[in-house]
Amino acid sequence: MVAFIILLDTVPYYILSTSGTTLIPQQVYPYLWVAVVIAPFPLFMQFVAIMIAAGAMSEEYESGTAELLLAKPVGRGEFFAGKFLGGYVLLGLLILLNALMSVVAASLTFGAQSGLGTIPGVVLVEVYSSALFFSVAFMLGELVRRSSLAYILSSALIVASQIIGTYLSIAYELTGNGFYESIHVYLPTTVAGSLPPQYEQSLLPSAAGRLFELILGPTMGIPSEASAAVMVGLYLATATAVSFAYFRWADVSRRVS
Amino acid sequence: MSSPVIEFDGAVKAFGKKRIGPVQFSVEKGEIFGFLGPNGSGKTTCIRMLLGLARPSAGKVRLRGLDPLSDHIGALTGVGYSPELPNIQSFMTPREVLALSAREIGLNSGVGAEIDRVLEEVGIIQYGDSKVSRLSKGMVQRLSVAQALIGSPQTLVLDEPMIGLDPAGTAHLREAFIAYARGGGTILMSSHMMSEVEGMCSSVGLIHGGKLLFRGTPREMVRDMLDSGEVRVEAKGMSAAVVESIRKVEGVLAVEEVPGGLTVRVARGVEARPEISKVIIQGGGELLTIREGERMLEKAYIEALKDGTDQAQ
Repeated sequence: MVAFIILLDTVPYYILSTSGTTLIPQQVYPYLWVAVVIAPFPLFMQFVAIMIAAGAMSEEYESGTAELLLAKPVGRGEFFAGKFLGGYVLLGLLILLNALMSVVAASLTFGAQSGLGTIPGVVLVEVYSSALFFSVAFMLGELVRRSSLAYILSSALIVASQIIGTYLSIAYELTGNGFYESIHVYLPTTVAGSLPPQYEQSLLPSAAGRLFELILGPTMGIPSEASAAVMVGLYLATATAVSFAYFRWADVSRRVS
Repeated sequence: MSSPVIEFDGAVKAFGKKRIGPVQFSVEKGEIFGFLGPNGSGKTTCIRMLLGLARPSAGKVRLRGLDPLSDHIGALTGVGYSPELPNIQSFMTPREVLALSAREIGLNSGVGAEIDRVLEEVGIIQYGDSKVSRLSKGMVQRLSVAQALIGSPQTLVLDEPMIGLDPAGTAHLREAFIAYARGGGTILMSSHMMSEVEGMCSSVGLIHGGKLLFRGTPREMVRDMLDSGEVRVEAKGMSAAVVESIRKVEGVLAVEEVPGGLTVRVARGVEARPEISKVIIQGGGELLTIREGERMLEKAYIEALKDGTDQAQ
């Protein structure tokens, strides 16, 4: 995963810098680091989140280590919190790595970068936004207790949300009916993917605005920053509460032999 | 009188239509309790209820007088567990596995010495720094027992601890368990190895089809489950008349001549060995050994399962 993130953060800059494209105006060069911080977030980083979270509990059941550990004087709450926070911290580190690698690669290929003071903020917002799919995948892993099935279901959720979002956009474009837009606002991919770009865009000078248009394309049905933050919190709270309640209630699954 | 270390009080676990229990028995301090039963009889389910890994559908389970679900940390403190399938990370070394186990139970000081002690106790100290992936199945099984022993728990719960062990490994662990119980430790172990249970356990419980069929000592199980006992005689120079006289000893049901001696079937609860010995010596024979029949617990187990199946039908 680390290797993939490094590739993702370096190859696009190398290609852009060597292809001589005129697509990118020179005035946005100092903000190009934003591109690979923001662009992969709506999809790629959500997959990273589910890859970590879907197996966090289920792999412990499959390997039998949950059974062994929970037969010791270790509280269930402690175990649950350890698995959740451990995975979430790892995800946070990968998001930070993604941001730092983007800055390094952009600096090496397009010169000195500006607006770097916003990095801590945007990383924190990305970490918070990624809690949506992280907690949902964590919940699915706990409910189905099979890592492969949890990966499939979580991925299906992302893909389905993305496809539904596309259909809703098309329907909205064709009909102008605000109903489609209002549904689009609540889709998990919309919620998780909209917060970091909005946050970052509000902090950077207008010269960087063209960059966001290039990266994100036309947008419709996006919740405000505050609404998105609340919705991420609701998804997170619901998924975590469901998974913890199930974990407390259900028997500890036996090892898959 | 102190409360039992392990107590099943009408514990039931329902899996849809299948039902384990109600199970009712207790294990006192210092006992080595052999939990017997065929595959799928409910032994592991009972062990999982005992450790708070499975929630009883009805009844109660207590470990060290505490509910392992509502007071998990209190009940499980001082309890070591070795599962049926050793759930050990293969990329680690035994020392690393045991250091992790020590940390999990909150052991902070003298960890290195404690690891050496348990590795020595299970007989794998020479493999302490090898990767688990390079150890044989038997060595991994011993390591699983070692991680249960770390921190000198007062109670051991062992699910098939002898599985996959060679005779030397079996003997090594047998001695370790006996020494552990002599030191005041309590063991509940499930096993299919009747010879080991017979030689090691102070009490046994037999579960079949989710029902506890028997609870008592191995000797009581043999007495209760078999219609007759068995005596093995090794002797030289026994004439046909001596054999005939043995047949007439009170309580003797049948005599079978086998290479090197006789197998004598005796009525349940009858101690016929002194009289048989006397007959052989007075008849001019040379008595080498006279003892109870071998594998009696196994025979009692098979007989009990037949009865249990009949009852179920």
